[in-house]
Amino acid sequence: MSETNTGAVSQIIGSTFDAEFPEDRLPEIYNALKITETVKGVEISVTGEVQQHLGGGKVRCVALGSTDGMVRGMTVTDTGGPLSVPVGKGTLGRVFNVTGDVIDGRGDVEHDERWAIHRHPPKLEDLSAKTELFETGIKVVDLLTPFVRGGKAGLFGGAGLGKTVILTELIARIASAHGGYSVFAGVGERTREGNDLWLEMQETKIGDTGRSVIEQTCMVFGQMNEPPGARLRVALSALTMAEWFRDATGSDTLLFVDNIFRFSQAGSEVSALLGRMPSAVGYQPTLGTELGELQERITSTSNGAITSVQAVYVPADDPTDPAPATAFSHLDAFIYLERKISEKGIYPAIDPLASSSRILDPQYVGERHYNIARRVQQTLQRYRELQDIIAILGVDELSEDDKMVVHRARRIERFLSQPFLVAEVFTGKAGKITPMEETIRSFEEICDGKWDHLPEAAFMYVGGIEEAEEQYNRMQADAEK
Amino acid sequence: MANARSLVKRLKSVRNIRKITRTMELIATGRFKKAMDRAVEAAAYTKKISEIVGDLGRADLKFSHPLLAKRVEVKKSVLLVLTSNRGLCGGYNGAVLRNTLRQMKQLQEDSVECTLEVSGKRGIKFLNFQKIDLDRTYTHFEDRPTFAEVDELGTRFVDDYVAGRIDRLDISYTSFESIARQHPVVESILPLSNLASNSGATTEADSDRGTDYEFQPAPQEILEELVPAAFRAKLFKCFLDAAVSEQIARMVAMKGATENADEMAGALKQQYNRARQAAITSELAEIIGGAAALD
Repeated sequence: MSETNTGAVSQIIGSTFDAEFPEDRLPEIYNALKITETVKGVEISVTGEVQQHLGGGKVRCVALGSTDGMVRGMTVTDTGGPLSVPVGKGTLGRVFNVTGDVIDGRGDVEHDERWAIHRHPPKLEDLSAKTELFETGIKVVDLLTPFVRGGKAGLFGGAGLGKTVILTELIARIASAHGGYSVFAGVGERTREGNDLWLEMQETKIGDTGRSVIEQTCMVFGQMNEPPGARLRVALSALTMAEWFRDATGSDTLLFVDNIFRFSQAGSEVSALLGRMPSAVGYQPTLGTELGELQERITSTSNGAITSVQAVYVPADDPTDPAPATAFSHLDAFIYLERKISEKGIYPAIDPLASSSRILDPQYVGERHYNIARRVQQTLQRYRELQDIIAILGVDELSEDDKMVVHRARRIERFLSQPFLVAEVFTGKAGKITPMEETIRSFEEICDGKWDHLPEAAFMYVGGIEEAEEQYNRMQADAEK
Repeated sequence: MANARSLVKRLKSVRNIRKITRTMELIATGRFKKAMDRAVEAAAYTKKISEIVGDLGRADLKFSHPLLAKRVEVKKSVLLVLTSNRGLCGGYNGAVLRNTLRQMKQLQEDSVECTLEVSGKRGIKFLNFQKIDLDRTYTHFEDRPTFAEVDELGTRFVDDYVAGRIDRLDISYTSFESIARQHPVVESILPLSNLASNSGATTEADSDRGTDYEFQPAPQEILEELVPAAFRAKLFKCFLDAAVSEQIARMVAMKGATENADEMAGALKQQYNRARQAAITSELAEIIGGAAALD
């Protein structure tokens, strides 16, 4: 299409608008439309994305920016293709919005190419089949929900359980030790958190290279303040940039998304405006399709890998809610944050029984690791079953075996806590990176009863098991003083 | 509704537990009354006979009964542990067994050889779990121990002590003071001199008055009769105390458990109602929303 194709706005409803085009020159579905006009001295610049053809030359679009000040009759220009974002190494160290414009105020971004944000997922034959463990140094994650290199991990949790903290921690742990590139997508979360992360990434150094993490990272934000259209597409913008790193450089790329639920939520916000009938719990009927289109693109190919960690908000702590339930099926490792655990003051508040990983299997992690993980889970499961009895009758009524289970389970529960690198400023405790081997050995020894003599408090916020003993000795020394 | 269903299930099980604990509470209350009457009756007798033994000990210093004599070197001792056959009595057994373990440790430190005799399934189970060897076990003492049953043990202890096969007998049980006060204790009842001075303490005032007995027949004969009787009475009293304490502990524990179960059932019921209401509301909202969208 050489000549510009223009139409006019015919209706505006919330964050969607209709535009009228000549019947024979309708913009295609997913084409980006631009409106740039000055109304009463205020410059209005909105990008829209075609979602439906209504007939009679009308198209219905989702606005990717605010529709404030828009009026009927404004001129709409068809860009002739879907929304595109700049890709390439020039994007590293920069911060973008959904339309691929830089928002860090550091001038234009150098790029040779722009890629459309709507792409096809990699072909079946191109997918990578290898499964490899990805060590994080967080005890509970490494033991019970080991991450897959080139796989997807989800952090599920209700409000205020520390999803963002764990995600930031993983960035600090993985990205700082990682040689490849990272892409961060801020989808509908607090703008302040995005800013904090940006500043922190500038300070954190990669290994001992002296370069900051931000130099290997590109960030894309469409936060809470943005209209639903932006939140709906920002994940795709970020993903497109990550895909370039995977396909063009063939390197291992990390993709962090906070928060995938906001993507579904934004979809539901525009769904009714687009005239779709709401489905279960008021979500859009296309929930599964929308999420599938996004998730299927986050994958590793034989060319390069994308390892992704996604935070998923769980509304009202109900994991059966359609949005988190749909996201669940796409993931390799599934981490569920539990309010009851955070109420005990144990962080990360990961539920050791609800969380799981595809590779917690002797075939991938080895017989020893698998057996110990299962023993830990069995102990905790038994403890949970006994909880009702303890609440009614008291611990004294348990059999000696069950008492032992409770005794160890309470220690394991506390030992699953760990001081975080990013929480150092709040807790005053130095973050601990526990190697996988030490984690496995520590839990094995607790299960074997080697550390039954230590009080429960000694197990809180330590790295390896020897540190629990040190903490106990310190506690005793303090008590003597 | 999957959540609601599991709540109903839990609610049912909590209610069932409540039924059991409530019943146990009532039974314990009934048994406690009888056990207490026996213990109180025995208490008066035991106290008097201990007093007399104490007085006799003071009155005639020329003679001493072997059961009263303290051994210079204590090598072998027996620790008798009184626990219950049944559970559901709160910390009753736990407290006695904790004391027992402490006493065993103490004896070990004093390098005294200690053999354990345990009454009650709970104690036997616990000590077996701790891999501690038990010399003898008894499970036939229920809430109404008879004198004949206890006397069997008493006779054996007396014979062993006199023959020098044991130098000391300790008993770990829950002593009963009043309905509101029972506490787990470890008492040394052989040699009996400990007992005499223990109970004698309360009668200090009387003996200071210098109660003079005229002995008929000779003091020695009286002592021979009286000392073993006092020992048996004391031993029997321990069993009675343990029995009544057990019932009180059960009563208190079951009362607490019933209250806890009530509370839990209330909370579960509330949760269930909420889950049910939420499901209904969301279904209604969906139907109405769907209907509205079709218009």
